[in-house]
Amino acid sequence: MSLLHYFEALEASPIGVFVKDQAATFAIIEAVHLMALALLGAAVLSADLRLLNVLLRDVPSNTVTDQAHRWFKVALIVLLITGFFMLAGVATKCYHNPFYWAKMIALGTGIVFVFAIRAPLLRKDHAQIHPVTLKLMALASMAIWFVVASSGRWIGFSG
Amino acid sequence: MLNIWLLHFAETIGATWFSIALHESFYAYAWIESIHVITLMISLGMLIVIDLRMLGLWLTNVPASTIAQRLDRPMLIGFSIMVVSGVLLYVGIPIRTTQSLWFRIKVILLVAAFINAWLFRRHMQGSAGTWDVAAVPPRRTRIAAALSLTLWAMVVMCGRFIAYDWYDCGQDNTAFIDWAAGCVAEGEAQ
Repeated sequence: MSLLHYFEALEASPIGVFVKDQAATFAIIEAVHLMALALLGAAVLSADLRLLNVLLRDVPSNTVTDQAHRWFKVALIVLLITGFFMLAGVATKCYHNPFYWAKMIALGTGIVFVFAIRAPLLRKDHAQIHPVTLKLMALASMAIWFVVASSGRWIGFSG
Repeated sequence: MLNIWLLHFAETIGATWFSIALHESFYAYAWIESIHVITLMISLGMLIVIDLRMLGLWLTNVPASTIAQRLDRPMLIGFSIMVVSGVLLYVGIPIRTTQSLWFRIKVILLVAAFINAWLFRRHMQGSAGTWDVAAVPPRRTRIAAALSLTLWAMVVMCGRFIAYDWYDCGQDNTAFIDWAAGCVAEGEAQ
């Protein structure tokens, strides 16, 4: 079975039908997706702007990033679940949409970056890490999530 | 009467070259909308950190006033971008937005959220030396924070719903919906 068939099967599945059946269902899921995006912004920006010494300079950066990571995981789970439901409603359209694939690549990069590089490094004492490393990582993190969010928004414009 | 005035106002804006240019430029409009959505991560992002601190759920080992004061400015920068991009979105599509039920509910919710934030700020100023360092702030603070998060969640929802044409004027709406959306009957607008 080709990849397109999986997308078609998802759209025809009970989940796809549930999402498409009423316009309001899709819109409500979209709104929850946006609220989770705001929570993701809270977690990413509070940690990254702390690492860049822009915010909360009088709070230890380990404290800020440790706690932000917990809420990051909550936001990511909600985004992935609502995102999956949204995809189910318009799966074949997404398959043919370059912004959808751009977003998936950026999202995959973001998840690997956070869990394989960023979180393990930030668990260490930040005083032992070179400040430039921390700052570059914060910039990379903000850039990745900006691309994920903006390419996500553009899926809707180009459908 | 008010609705006729609002419609005339929207029509005046809609007739300007700037509104037409915004409306007709696919990239300008789409990017302004993208900025409006992405800035949620700054404006609501900072608000969420503050509100979750007030609920005793985030950065509980940091004084509540420290979080509120340090994140106040980035939050306001975020909201400034939201207001500017929001106004531009309105200018791009003024007539339909003026007569959008969801836009009207959103404006009312924004006013409510603003009043709540203003009262909350006054309440915060009295916190020094009392509950400031408590991991879980007093009940009144938690209620205000929960109310703030609820109002903003509803603002986001209404904002997203504006894009849908469910209750647009000219559809088969009930009289109540037409009244709430401010639909002006043909001939009445003169």
